[in-house]
Amino acid sequence: MSVIQRPLALLVGPQEMGRTWYFWVGFVIVIGVGAAAPQYLGRFDLLNLANFLTSIFLALSLCLIWGFCGILSLGQAAFLGLGGYAYGVAGINFIESHGNTWAALGIGLAVPVALAAVLGFVMFYARLKGVYVAILMLVVTLLFETFLNQTAGQGWFIGDAHLGGNNGLGRFSGVIKRPPSFIFSEGGIKFLGKSYAFFYLTFGLAVLCYLGLRIMVNSKLGFVMVAIREDPERTEALGYDVRLIQLIVFCVSALLASMSGILYVSWGRFITPDVFGVYNNILPVIWVAVAGRKSLTATVIGTLVLVWMSQRLTETDYAFVVLGGILVGAMLLLPEGVITGIVDRSAGLRARLAARLRARA
Amino acid sequence: MPLLEVKNLSKAFGGVRAVDGVDFSLEQGELRSIIGPNGAGKSTLFKLLLGSIKPDKGKIWFRDRDVTRAEPHTRAHMGIGVKFQHLGVYGDLTVRHNMQLPLQHSLSGEAMDAEIARLLERLNLAGTEERRVAELAHGQRQWLAIGMALAMRPVLLLLDEPTAGMGPEETRETGSLVHSVHEEGVTIVVVEHDMAFVRQLGAPVTVLHYGRVFAEGSLAAIEDNEDVRNIYLGASRTMAVRSRRH
Repeated sequence: MSVIQRPLALLVGPQEMGRTWYFWVGFVIVIGVGAAAPQYLGRFDLLNLANFLTSIFLALSLCLIWGFCGILSLGQAAFLGLGGYAYGVAGINFIESHGNTWAALGIGLAVPVALAAVLGFVMFYARLKGVYVAILMLVVTLLFETFLNQTAGQGWFIGDAHLGGNNGLGRFSGVIKRPPSFIFSEGGIKFLGKSYAFFYLTFGLAVLCYLGLRIMVNSKLGFVMVAIREDPERTEALGYDVRLIQLIVFCVSALLASMSGILYVSWGRFITPDVFGVYNNILPVIWVAVAGRKSLTATVIGTLVLVWMSQRLTETDYAFVVLGGILVGAMLLLPEGVITGIVDRSAGLRARLAARLRARA
Repeated sequence: MPLLEVKNLSKAFGGVRAVDGVDFSLEQGELRSIIGPNGAGKSTLFKLLLGSIKPDKGKIWFRDRDVTRAEPHTRAHMGIGVKFQHLGVYGDLTVRHNMQLPLQHSLSGEAMDAEIARLLERLNLAGTEERRVAELAHGQRQWLAIGMALAMRPVLLLLDEPTAGMGPEETRETGSLVHSVHEEGVTIVVVEHDMAFVRQLGAPVTVLHYGRVFAEGSLAAIEDNEDVRNIYLGASRTMAVRSRRH
């Protein structure tokens, strides 16, 4: 296979729904409709949509580590928050002072991945699994929340950036410097959070990440990930260093989650310790579990629907109660996820119908 | 030097000594059955040989190397193939993808397809390539698990209860498969409590009891050993064996 044929073959591999021509026609239509959003959406709705899109990276990160590798993390928001804070602090120091966005971006990505490498090494090489990983990650993220909440004093400056305690970075811009959006001085390109350019950047990155992850899960590594999810002991006996593969996937998932944080900070130009809280760690679990954790496509669709629904529900006091109810209902009726459950059942129905028709013929 | 040598191997869980000072060796090309009553330490010894648990005491040498602390993936690359007591196949994947996992270390493309076809033919699984493993019959899944171990081209094959849940015909075919693999020069250890299958193998037997090697010898010698009969085979079984011999 050529350099082009191989990735294309991996795009339509068996680990992900979407092996038919009509799926890809639908995909192209969705991309077209999405790309044309600035033509038919008002400014407020477009900004909202850009914000929704930043959640996709966090959801995909959990889908990858939990749905494909079998490791439930209840602390993925730690990487989102750390990415956001690292980018924000670096941005205030490098972008505002020196116009160096690449350095801020690099730091925003590197800090969470470094944390994931350390945590992952400790967890996986100590053979921690199941509920212990989930709880450890939750504890880690709550530690970050607790620590950052007490950084309101004047001693908590990193260069020009003040961590700001529970007000966070840039919440009160009159006193504290706000994290900047992306500005690339090379071509004078600006991705200000409230601009169409930012929407296109986020949209483009989401599509690229989705396609890249499709290739990843259908590659040799992807099959090994699924094998680890199903039976790690067996997979190790087949010659795979399960600990190393879990560590690599964990770092990739941290990278994806940190992209959510960086884009979120670039969009709103603030971040608070709340992003590390329980609510923000349980939300992605609900998105991914309800949609179908073993599918990237289901995760993307489910996340957009549920994030939109959450925002609508915040007008009431019952947003989390309703989302929790949806999770419980989905787990009882379609434990593998609503979207994947419907797709699997309709495929089974089609197969049974086809068999009956063949039998009659 | 034996292919596999185990010296004074011990493993305790809390106050229970699951394996207690086991000495055991295997020559290249040998076929050996390991039997013992429930709780004798068979599964723990199997896991110690595989490397998924590490001993409290003792040493394991494989191909002249000390592998006592080596991880399972390292032992797999050194030539230890494993079929677990539980099925150890991936139900969500197809038969082809199950077979690809051990083969993709060394093969790809047409060479891999040819090897998958050859192995599935040998395992009576030809034509099942695109089926999800969860849809296969129990016996077929057992064979697939053996096939995945064979795909690693092992020097030493560890089979933990390879006929669990199989009917008589499938058990007989599994015995034939084990013999044919053995004839190719692969050293095989079968951990089993189905004496009918152990008799079909007809190989030398190691008996474990309370984590120790209780007896070792030819199948006939083990079946004639009164102490073994008392702890494992039982008087009625002994009578049946004797009457069959005479």
